Amino acid sequence: MTDRPSERTPRPRAFRLEDADLGALAPERDRIVVESQPDVFAQPDDETRDQEEIVESAQKKGIVARSLMSWGGLFWSAAFGLVTLAMGLWFDSLLANLFARTPALGWIGVALIGALVLALLVLAGREVSGVLRQKRIGQMHIALARARETDDTAAARTLVRDLTALYASRPDTARARAHVLDLTREIVDGRDLIDIAERTLVMPLDQTVQHEIARAAKRVSVVTAISPRAIVDLLFVAAQAFRLVRRISEIYGGRPGMVGFLRLLRSVGAHLAITGGMAAGDSLVQQVLGHGIAAKLSARLGEGVLNGMLTARVGLSAMAVCRPMPFAAEPSPGVKDVAPFLFRSGEP
Amino acid sequence: MPLLSNLTQEAFIAARSLADYVGGTGLRLGVTGLSRAGKTVFITALVEALLAAGRPAAPGRRNPLPVFRVHAEGRLMRANLEPQPDDAVPRFAYENHLASLTGGEGGPDARHWPESTRRISELRLTLEFERKSGWRSGSSSLTLDIVDYPGEWLLDLPLLSKSYAQWSQETLEASAAAARAPLAADWRGYLKTIDPAGPASEDIARKAAELFTAYLRASRADKYALSTLPPGRFLMPGDLEGSPALTFAPLPTEGGSPSGSLAAMMERRYEAYKTHVVRPFFRDHFARLDRQIVLVDALSALNSGPAAVRDLETAMTDVLMAFRAGRASFLTTLFRPRVDRILFAATKADHLHHTSHDRLEAILRHLTARAIARAEGVGAEVDVIALAAVRATREASVRQGRETLDAIVGTPLPGETVGGETFDGAQEVAIFPGSLPADPRTVFRGDALAIPEGEADYRFVRFRPPVPQVDASGGFQPLPHIRLDRAIEFLFGDRMA
Repeated sequence: MTDRPSERTPRPRAFRLEDADLGALAPERDRIVVESQPDVFAQPDDETRDQEEIVESAQKKGIVARSLMSWGGLFWSAAFGLVTLAMGLWFDSLLANLFARTPALGWIGVALIGALVLALLVLAGREVSGVLRQKRIGQMHIALARARETDDTAAARTLVRDLTALYASRPDTARARAHVLDLTREIVDGRDLIDIAERTLVMPLDQTVQHEIARAAKRVSVVTAISPRAIVDLLFVAAQAFRLVRRISEIYGGRPGMVGFLRLLRSVGAHLAITGGMAAGDSLVQQVLGHGIAAKLSARLGEGVLNGMLTARVGLSAMAVCRPMPFAAEPSPGVKDVAPFLFRSGEP
Repeated sequence: MPLLSNLTQEAFIAARSLADYVGGTGLRLGVTGLSRAGKTVFITALVEALLAAGRPAAPGRRNPLPVFRVHAEGRLMRANLEPQPDDAVPRFAYENHLASLTGGEGGPDARHWPESTRRISELRLTLEFERKSGWRSGSSSLTLDIVDYPGEWLLDLPLLSKSYAQWSQETLEASAAAARAPLAADWRGYLKTIDPAGPASEDIARKAAELFTAYLRASRADKYALSTLPPGRFLMPGDLEGSPALTFAPLPTEGGSPSGSLAAMMERRYEAYKTHVVRPFFRDHFARLDRQIVLVDALSALNSGPAAVRDLETAMTDVLMAFRAGRASFLTTLFRPRVDRILFAATKADHLHHTSHDRLEAILRHLTARAIARAEGVGAEVDVIALAAVRATREASVRQGRETLDAIVGTPLPGETVGGETFDGAQEVAIFPGSLPADPRTVFRGDALAIPEGEADYRFVRFRPPVPQVDASGGFQPLPHIRLDRAIEFLFGDRMA
């Protein structure tokens, strides 16, 4: 059909399966081996799909919640508005008083209020951009999951480009970004492209995150074991968990402010509520066992282990929710992967 | 006169679509494809998949349609076959077609592809589901109307805009081309002996029509796989066989057509064919589509050679020009329905390894480039996929010596040949079909037709349907497929959000 007789392209041909079975008798050179390949159109496991659905539903409750306006939001906005009005009145009378005393004092007051308003505006702007950024990451997660599922090459290309843009300010990802960007211009199937992006770009971040979770879990379990009062370790665990969630979001490219952090916490909480119950099944035994051995040595040590596990679990939920793509090419880590020391016999 | 009939037709279409709108939420799915593109198999597989999705799932079974969102999210409650709205059209024999695919009474050995479609038929399917989007949440239903018809008839649609003289000239020119000349030799020989301006004669007309039909039939044979062969009723006459509307043939019309002459009679019959056959067919079944899937059997044309591929391109472009595409709005939905989503599917994707699917899609994209550009230009959404509504093969790698080939394993139809081997229709065989070129334009270059089996770079063998798998309860498992769920999601997933 084409004008290249010299070039050797494989010809269309057929292999009878019984010939292949008899192939063992044939000389090595002519032996035909037919090996069944894994079915690429087979459906993904229901389990991984379920995991993904939980993450997405958790994200929709917090970071990618559709409406910015809820009854709670309305309440706080109205309250905030009233307080602002009251402050305005107060400032007004304050300025009037100052000007009445000496004009110079009045001008200083004006300058201070101006600085206050400016700072407030900048803070508010940061809040909004933080919320939007986190939302964008959440939407990217959902879109990447969809593109991977449908093997949509066009969508995968734009999404992977967005992903590299997200990490454009991280010098340590430069090489991975360049590699992935090159691939978006070549013929790579959508699903493969997403997997490659996950392995090269997101996996190093995963390792950092796992390291953070491990450190937080370790700190919590040690502090709980040696803290003199229950209230101290309660506060410490809460502070560590919040700090961990914020840190994980930052590693994955988010910049949560106050509102953004609250939305993030809502998502983490939703994820934790579902997975916590499910995980109770598979690791309850370990927990009881771990607790048992530790508790034999000391009650406080056992509590330390439990608190450490709790922290690790919070960290894993935050990881699932903040990650810009679903776990697909690599398995999602469990408590045992991030904090193996909690399961070693006895010592935390 | 044509203006008047066009106007009445428009009015008729507007009235019916208004009635449809008032009648309820329906979706008319146009399954478009030339003969042997796999329309009947696609419809059967689609209906079977949707019915299976509507049944309560056996625990632990994998979802066969993961990409179909409304089902994957568990919001699809029921799928029912319903009586169709048109009383005058036969029902699509879904049960019979499914029985032939699975072997039915005769057991798995009797399985075969459904016979080619000889008449029009229709099916209505209702999907009950729950909406999740905002203000319209709650239970809802979507009615799907699907029409099956002989693909040959589709070739008639371009005739609507052609006069007899124009059509004659085009047909005569095409039959003189290198690829077709040998096939048309008999008919063209006879044509030289008759005088278009001579007196009308039924005998001559019949003889000319017979030879013309023979030429069309020969061109369609598997070996040549040509596609642009109007009028379609000559190939598949339905219940009009032998009627005057089907007894005409193109004539050279340079001499004009004085009244009473043979040419005048032919012209009158051609116009009658358009009025009584083509226009009602178009008006009743194609003018009011909401979504369209265009099935293209690119593999047969690729088997035959570049001339057949280009012929397929011409046929598809001509046919698709007859449809109305464009973004749907409220008013257009009321009075002038438009196709706002078109899916181009290269069927029989299971006949090659999945690593070649990208190349097949590229070829299809190139093949339908003009239709795609036109649809996208007016705001319709377009997607191109490689599809196998029923998957007849599985994949394997074959190692011989130092060479490793990506092959497919299946049972070829009896009589199929590859690499000098002919199959008996019972043995399972691993087949390496060759590789498609990386540059889709390559397959359009050249004039070769009916390339002998030993010379082609690729050869796609047709397979028998897959052996049906029986599940624990004794029923059949859903038929395997490739990307059917993606097609479903694209075609009407958005209407079930």
